[in-house]
Amino acid sequence: MSRLLPLLVGILVLAAWEVSVRWLQVPVFVLPPPSLIAKSFVENFPLLMSALWVTVQMTLAAFLASLVGGVALAVLFSQSRLIERSLLPYAIVLQVTPIVSIAPLIIIWVGFDHVERAVFILATIVAFFPILSNASLGLRSVDPGLADLFRLYRATRWQRLFLLQLPSALPALLAGARISGGLALIGSVVAEFVAGSGEATGLAWRIAESGQRLEIPRMFAGLLLLSATGLALNAAIAQVEHWLLRRWHPSHGAAA
Amino acid sequence: MLTIAGIGKTYTNGLTALDHVDLTIAEGSFTSIVGPSGCGKSTLLRMIAGLDEPTAGAIEGRPGEIGLVFQDATLMPWADVEANVYLPLRLAGVTRPDAAPRIAEALVLVGLSDFAHAYPRALSGGMRMRVAIARALVTRPRLLLMDEPFAALDEITRNRLNDDLQRLWREQGFTTVFVTHSVFESVYLSTDIAVMTPRPGRVMAVHKVIGPPVRDPGFRASQAYLDGCRAVSRDLEHALAVPA
Repeated sequence: MSRLLPLLVGILVLAAWEVSVRWLQVPVFVLPPPSLIAKSFVENFPLLMSALWVTVQMTLAAFLASLVGGVALAVLFSQSRLIERSLLPYAIVLQVTPIVSIAPLIIIWVGFDHVERAVFILATIVAFFPILSNASLGLRSVDPGLADLFRLYRATRWQRLFLLQLPSALPALLAGARISGGLALIGSVVAEFVAGSGEATGLAWRIAESGQRLEIPRMFAGLLLLSATGLALNAAIAQVEHWLLRRWHPSHGAAA
Repeated sequence: MLTIAGIGKTYTNGLTALDHVDLTIAEGSFTSIVGPSGCGKSTLLRMIAGLDEPTAGAIEGRPGEIGLVFQDATLMPWADVEANVYLPLRLAGVTRPDAAPRIAEALVLVGLSDFAHAYPRALSGGMRMRVAIARALVTRPRLLLMDEPFAALDEITRNRLNDDLQRLWREQGFTTVFVTHSVFESVYLSTDIAVMTPRPGRVMAVHKVIGPPVRDPGFRASQAYLDGCRAVSRDLEHALAVPA
């Protein structure tokens, strides 16, 4: 029952939306009824799907790049305080600078005919920081007793990293990955809006284009697709987290 | 024989935790270190393990293989019992197939063979401590160091683990250094008891426990046990009376 409730609410809201829009005769370019959005979705299905595919590819590429890069840098930081002190300020500068403001610069650097590269770079910058900071925190939160044991048994630096630090960092790392997955999508969309030109073919550009042409039902269809993508991405990462933590981490159920 | 000679530990902030600690631990003995909290007995144990460096004195005769058990079981929560017990061998570069019989043997010793694939969170506090003991024994150490290992356990569990530890010590023949703040526990288990003074920690007296080689619950009711407890308690009271 508790699973059905949100669904029921959704159906009620859609019905109320449909009825009130028709009854109050709201113009379609202000708020189209759900039925029209559904129709537009079906009619534009091939176009929307190819646009979605571009955005999804971009998002996944940026997410994976930030995951690999963030973990690698965090590991480097954990091995040497000196490297951390020298590089961390720059990572923070990158994080706090609004992405929209650096987008034009990146586009000039990679060239106007390679907008997808600019989108990838920008989305990666956005998604990168949560992984770095959470992985760094995780790598440092090692049980001191276990750290003592590793010293007693004369563990090498690599044994310590792979058998102690990385497993200890896993829960924090996965929490970072969840944030970063959402940010990779947001980053892709924002970068595409900013970079938007004839070259861009992702979902964000389709939405912007629909807006400019006042094809509001198609705009809604695109938006819906974008939310669904975000949800799917979040669910996928949550599933991975569940597989990795369910048997041992307190966040995943009591003792079995 | 493990010789602790003139050990001192002064921290950079000027605090002296240990001052001229002398103690000789005989091969194969069960030596308890008893003292009030803050007397530096855990620090002393960490020095014997090689985890802390003394600022004065030296420890000699430390064997290569040392087992260590903390007050917490300190298991890796992400690994099952078998993988936790495997850890010391794994760090020494022993492959899993080569280690398997030794892991199984260590689990038999602590009576946890049926729980090889359980995760630590599914185990009781006493069972977790057994895993920690199995892990410490899997390398067949000549010296087992224990830092208040049973302090967090209930009395029934604690008594059972005391008996099991006794049996393991007799059968395996390793030297045990056992830090505790319980006089009763130390007399029940030990051949030798070192009583320490509070900060700065110093060994104030060493007792030989008069008791049967095999201790069982019957020993707790014996006159020898009561005499031992009385003598150690009296020393501990004197230790507390020494002005710091």
